[in-house]
Amino acid sequence: MNKIFALAGVVIKELYRRKDFYVLFVLTALLTVAAGAVNFFHDDKIIRYVKDICLLLIWVSALVIAIVTTARQIPAEREARTIFPLLAKPVSRGQVIAGKFLGCWLATGVALLVFYFFFAIITGSREHIWPWAVYFQAAWMQWFMLAIVIALVVLGSIYFAAPSSTSTISFIVVVGILGIGSHLKIIALQQPEPMQFILTVIYFVMPHLEWFDLRDFVVYDQSLVSWPALIVATVYAAVWTGIFLLLAWLGFRRKNLTT
Amino acid sequence: MSVILKTEKLRVEFKSSEFRQAVKIAVQGLDLEVNAGEVFGFLGPNGAGKTTTMNVLLGFVPPTSGTASLFGIDVRQPIARQRIGYLPELTYYYKFLTADELLRFYAKIFGLTRAETDQRIPDLLKLVELEHAAKRPIKSYSKGMQQRVGLAQALINNPDLLVLDEPTSGLDPLGRMKVREIIQRLKNEGKTVFFSSHELGEVETVCDRVAIVHQGELKTVGSVADVSAGSANLEQAFLKIVGAQSQPLP
Amino acid sequence: MKISPLLALTALVAIAFTLASGLVTQADGWSRSTKSDNIFGMMFGDGRKLFANQFFTEADVYFHSGYYPSIFDRSGRDSEITETSHGHTDSPDDEIKEDFFGRTKDWVDAFGRNFRVTKHTHLESGNEREILPWLRLAADLDPQKTETYTVGAFFLWDHLHKSGEAEAFLREGLRNNPDNCEILFALGRLYNESTHDTVRARNVWELGVKKFLLLPPDEQKENKIVFDELSVNLARLEDQAGNYGAAINWFHAAQKVSPDPGALQQQIDVIQKKLDALIHVAPQKLY
Repeated sequence: MNKIFALAGVVIKELYRRKDFYVLFVLTALLTVAAGAVNFFHDDKIIRYVKDICLLLIWVSALVIAIVTTARQIPAEREARTIFPLLAKPVSRGQVIAGKFLGCWLATGVALLVFYFFFAIITGSREHIWPWAVYFQAAWMQWFMLAIVIALVVLGSIYFAAPSSTSTISFIVVVGILGIGSHLKIIALQQPEPMQFILTVIYFVMPHLEWFDLRDFVVYDQSLVSWPALIVATVYAAVWTGIFLLLAWLGFRRKNLTT
Repeated sequence: MSVILKTEKLRVEFKSSEFRQAVKIAVQGLDLEVNAGEVFGFLGPNGAGKTTTMNVLLGFVPPTSGTASLFGIDVRQPIARQRIGYLPELTYYYKFLTADELLRFYAKIFGLTRAETDQRIPDLLKLVELEHAAKRPIKSYSKGMQQRVGLAQALINNPDLLVLDEPTSGLDPLGRMKVREIIQRLKNEGKTVFFSSHELGEVETVCDRVAIVHQGELKTVGSVADVSAGSANLEQAFLKIVGAQSQPLP
Repeated sequence: MKISPLLALTALVAIAFTLASGLVTQADGWSRSTKSDNIFGMMFGDGRKLFANQFFTEADVYFHSGYYPSIFDRSGRDSEITETSHGHTDSPDDEIKEDFFGRTKDWVDAFGRNFRVTKHTHLESGNEREILPWLRLAADLDPQKTETYTVGAFFLWDHLHKSGEAEAFLREGLRNNPDNCEILFALGRLYNESTHDTVRARNVWELGVKKFLLLPPDEQKENKIVFDELSVNLARLEDQAGNYGAAINWFHAAQKVSPDPGALQQQIDVIQKKLDALIHVAPQKLY
């Protein structure tokens, strides 16, 4: 485990020494503050649209950080040839995969903490209430959704040499699932065979990332999601993460790294 | 004498990019043994299979058939690399890390304790003359400094076997002298050094035994004196073995 | 001849500036500019109307606190959401009809509902303010969408008690849609029900009727509901003011376009009785 944490530590150091996170955070902060500064009909108590915009920016930024950071991990190591002095040490390829995943996931988690802390300050300054439990649930679910996404990107980075390809394909898949994942069955029922069958299979087989989007609960001041459902969703995320990482390991373990 | 490094009938094939050639045989039937405490030179012209053999020993490339082991452990097991240090020909390390952070990272990979790490790193940085630059990111280092970092990371775990790929390539005379000194020091400590090089003059100076490979096959192995017997020096012997003779100038 | 780079750069900047100052006055006429000067209009052209519609819908989503069918939920299920049951759950049948989710389709759907807003609520107690930003944006993007002004103004004066803001919003709508009968009706309602300024309400409604009568026949046919509302409200206004004759006239006018002329006839009959009683009483008083 120490080796995995050591590998993760390098990934985290890389993230906070690159500019990506800071640029995205500043952009999110600026846009949120700008949105909050607009006066609508001289009512200074309006807050939900600010929450909506801020959370949307947080989601976009976190996805960008997660996907872009992860997509370049293994290809960059191969291209920079830093993979060789690493694998010449007593570390297995599976540990490298696990370390890269853990580093990206923890780094994204830290980024999420900063984003949500900023969100709490902005909204609390207007609402004067802090529903920490709701915020925790939203952040927790988003973090575990990102675990699935990061594992998926790790898998993609094994097979696609260019980080840009991995990033683009991952974005399309993730946005697609978030947008229409829960409605795929309805879409399938409107299609002729065999498309109906294919879409139905995809609907049941794919990871339902849209479950992890609890923004509506935060924006519309809804009550908490039931904790048992949250736990089941967490386990579901862990299972999918494990599946993608296992597939990544199977692809990586026999790969000829010298070509 | 115990055998530290061993290959038996090692064969490595790659899919060929050339038309009408299904596979390219990089190494065929390589039987090699390196004993503990010796400095072993692994020689051959470009494309002979030296790098491929090293890649197999370090676990980068799986063998097609045959076996390779380090300290009696199959090279496919990560633990086989617990007691080795590796210096690649081209030194590429994480540019955003400092030398100190890089060495600490590798020390954790080797499972060194915090106390051991805190003790070894200053000694290594002093050995490679990088104490003044230890806290600067590696991207700010010159090429020579990066190679010295490479040497430091190869020695972080006090390895019993040091694998060097063209260790003096690109180094100035002072740098080469430093590398020779380190190799000699390790030999005096009873360590084993396995390295490939094109600098036959240096090989002659430091090596106990050498092996020459050509077109994926082992052509000869033995002490420098035995291999050079019948030729003016190791270089002439090398050229004779690989089937190339130096042509007199017009 | 060797030209200094600095001189060339200066010359280019001077030429560019001269051209720009000469062309800027002409450039205004080149593009088909929208009535809106905002950045969205310039950026998106006619596509801004799509965004305006989306933002208007978003206001509805906010009003329902996120409980809202997606375009996939809506396909084929509109008929099941009945008006009478909307917002009310008197019976289990009503609940199913207004619950666009329907029964769970499979385990994925069933589990997924834990993470969706599934309770049908409306914003109230001042929280209706949250829909205002989207209505404001919708109005900015499509100033010709009159519904934005009428809905926004209604929530401003009726729910949030901001009559001044509501009036300003409606007047903005009128500036962007001159003589629009719907906006005139809404403005009249504001005067009548919020500020209780019946004189202004009457004036605005009568103006609305005049503008309606000036419309071409096709547009009159499309907007007959507005005329119905104008006429009925004018009738009630006159009834409250004691102008029974005028009230009856307005109800008759409304009957021509009303979907339920019978109900209006009942109201006419009531007012007629009041008028008859007044006429019957008045002569006795004189003597």
